[in-house]
Amino acid sequence: MNALWMRQIGGVLSLELKRTAFSKRGWWIYCLAAAPVAIALLHWLAELNHSRGGMGSHTVGEDSVIFAGMFLLFFLRGSLFFGMMGIFSNLFRGEMLEKTLHYYFLTPIRRELLVAGKYLAGLSVSLMLFVPSTALTFLLLGRHFGAAWTDYLVHGPGLSQLGSYVLVTALACIGYGAVFLVCGQLTKNPMIAAAIVWVWEGLNPFLPSLMKQVSVIFYLKSLCPMEVPVPPPFSIMAVETDPAATWVAVPGLLAVALILLAYAAISARQGEISYSD
Amino acid sequence: MSSNLITFENVSRFYGEVLGINRVSLSIPPGVTSLVGPNGSGKTTLMNLMSGLLQPTEGKIEVLGASPSNPERLCKILGYCAQFDAFPKGLTGYKFVYAYLCVHGMSHAECDERARTALELVGLTGAANRLVAAYSKGMRQRVKLAQAIAHDPKVIVLDEPLNGLDPMARAEAIALFRQWGEQGRHVIVSSHILHEVDRISDQVILLSQGYVVAEGEIQGVRSEVKDQPMQILVRCDQPHLLASRLFQEDHVVEAVIQGDGRNLLLRTKDADSFYLMLNRVVLETGLTVESVAPADDDVNSVYQYLIGAAGGAV
Amino acid sequence: MAVYKKVYRPYEGKLTSRFARLMVIPRYAFEEMQRSRFLSIFYVATFLYPLVCALIIYVQHNASALQLLNVQNARNLISINVTFFLSLLGWQSVMALFIAAFIGPGQVSPDLANNGLSLYLARPFSRVDYVAGKMSILVILMSLMTWIPGLLLFLLQGYLEGWSWMADNTRIAYAFFVGSWIWILLLSLMALALSAWVKWKPAAGALMFVVFFVTSAFGATINAVQRTHWGNLASLSYLVGSIWVQLFEGTHKSTNGAIFFRSPIGEECPLWLCWAGLLSVVAICVYMLARKIRGAEVVR
Repeated sequence: MNALWMRQIGGVLSLELKRTAFSKRGWWIYCLAAAPVAIALLHWLAELNHSRGGMGSHTVGEDSVIFAGMFLLFFLRGSLFFGMMGIFSNLFRGEMLEKTLHYYFLTPIRRELLVAGKYLAGLSVSLMLFVPSTALTFLLLGRHFGAAWTDYLVHGPGLSQLGSYVLVTALACIGYGAVFLVCGQLTKNPMIAAAIVWVWEGLNPFLPSLMKQVSVIFYLKSLCPMEVPVPPPFSIMAVETDPAATWVAVPGLLAVALILLAYAAISARQGEISYSD
Repeated sequence: MSSNLITFENVSRFYGEVLGINRVSLSIPPGVTSLVGPNGSGKTTLMNLMSGLLQPTEGKIEVLGASPSNPERLCKILGYCAQFDAFPKGLTGYKFVYAYLCVHGMSHAECDERARTALELVGLTGAANRLVAAYSKGMRQRVKLAQAIAHDPKVIVLDEPLNGLDPMARAEAIALFRQWGEQGRHVIVSSHILHEVDRISDQVILLSQGYVVAEGEIQGVRSEVKDQPMQILVRCDQPHLLASRLFQEDHVVEAVIQGDGRNLLLRTKDADSFYLMLNRVVLETGLTVESVAPADDDVNSVYQYLIGAAGGAV
Repeated sequence: MAVYKKVYRPYEGKLTSRFARLMVIPRYAFEEMQRSRFLSIFYVATFLYPLVCALIIYVQHNASALQLLNVQNARNLISINVTFFLSLLGWQSVMALFIAAFIGPGQVSPDLANNGLSLYLARPFSRVDYVAGKMSILVILMSLMTWIPGLLLFLLQGYLEGWSWMADNTRIAYAFFVGSWIWILLLSLMALALSAWVKWKPAAGALMFVVFFVTSAFGATINAVQRTHWGNLASLSYLVGSIWVQLFEGTHKSTNGAIFFRSPIGEECPLWLCWAGLLSVVAICVYMLARKIRGAEVVR
């Protein structure tokens, strides 16, 4: 990539970060990222109180399982999904609604670079918010165990679990980000597409093996260090499938994101400004 | 194709079944060109096509040799001040101009210098660090203009640029457009204020219902409108005498004495014959003529003749 | 400069009542809603469940129908009791959430995005009138699908079962009515507040679902992490479900709440906290509306 392209992408990044990262309208996304950290902090403080009273209530292993469930239910199905929807679907659709997209289209930047710059801006913000959120929540959840937790992290599977969760968070940002960027670019109401994706991914445990693989969450769950079974009474309807191997899941997700972004770039190339739509 | 022209070759643009413009062929030289026409005539469509914001349904457009489907090349030489009164949120006037210059790929120092120069040109240096959302309508118009010209384009497209400007700002803007025109840039302006179009423009393009009704210099366009007799205002000491001589000529349709009794407004189908006749009358009768001037040699008159109050027929 | 005689005279006739002026808003909104086929079909579909309930009540009291269907023991399977009406309320309330998410955001967002509020507020029409008018659209639609069919079903059951049943179960009617209104008012305020804050219709609609489902997930997460049930206070559906259970059953709790509005036995939180939670949400919505519903936005 030549220097001009780098400067242009930098210009887009800078503008988008002002719009996306430091915008008061995005307060609910900050809340989504901060909420699990707040829960983990509360847990730490509450357990510190309990331990002073001589009341140890659970083990490190139990907290790891709790985090695994929390990661699937709250992070993947909740904060990451809705957070990416809020950040990425707004990148193009928001500018169309605010009637400001034509300022970009009137600069001599390749439309493909514009898409790349906007995507990178959204990705930076989402990684900045949700990766620390995941890491802090994981670290705080077991903090009250003190030396036992440090031992679990350093000498046990803790750090590799943390690495896996952080990787899954980053891949979720990449994958869902690309999906919602395309939805925001191509549809007037990206929320309908988001609702369809959410319901489809919610049904993922109950779908046949082949259909399971047509989703982002199947690959993300495959990369999680702990499996969370479907709770009863729904467990009788769940279809057991082998998780995807890491060497399939990671490149696969990245490839899907790249394909979606390439499609977005081609659409931007042919894009027109018609704000009355 | 000459690389000093903006050319439209049989260009059409439809919005579904609604016509934007149809079969437009134009060749716009450097200087100030005004687009004139009623609402919905296709002025903004033409400007959007020229600047690449829309693609033509048919036909080909070239702007100084660059195609609008190649924005990387076109937008270096073209600046567009669109009609949309919308701005990215949270930016000051300076940041608004500076940020989009960065997207051009310029260095920080160059962006900074160009932004300050552009804001100074439009008289917004004092308000540069205020949020654009806090600007008045006139200030918003000026900051849009600054953003459009900051990268020093050769082609400047302005969609109703005088909207919301006070008389002083209008005069300054008009002087700026004339200066750019004289520098050899292409300045395309759309406006409804016809007497200002007269002052600004070297040539005019009249649009009606998506068609180009006339294009060229105003006097040239007027002389082509043969079905409307020319109006000429003569100020002399004996208008009655002149009028009686005029009625002997076949080409004179009407003669009316106006004002203080020394003005004679006549309508003639052949202006050249009238001027020859006037010379003869002056020599024969010793008539003292103070002034002779065309009375409908302006955009307003041409607009009324070709487009009219109802939007005109093509 | 000549000064000409002023011939303009303001209107001196009778003004319509404040209520009539307020009802102009829903009148036009309903006209526009009728144009959306999807919305019309969806709204009609929300009456299916009450219709099925009416059929069940009828069949329960019709021995010949039971004989015809050869399900004489069906009376024992479905009892027309608190659980029956609570389920109806829960299901219709979720449908009401969908209606609020589809229709609510389109009420305020476009007016704010297109600077239309000044057109309303420049007339003898206050901000309260505006909000009340917009709310009335949702209140009317949601009433038609919640407490009205609920009370009609109660009356049908009472008519078929007898006066004594009605007298013994008046609490059900009262609980259904009050429970519906709690949910209707909460949803209406939330829809308008999110619509005013976000200014983008689809985003406001999505936020309705986010608030409902994510708060439930948040509450469940707190419960799982802390091994407690106090996380339920963060869940809107729990707060409403608890209040409903108290309305329907008082202190003798025998159900776990309604579908989607679970209030499991053994996980009770003090009722005053549930009310406080709901009132906080209402207060936040009112604050958001007060901040955003203005004739002009001043930016410094």
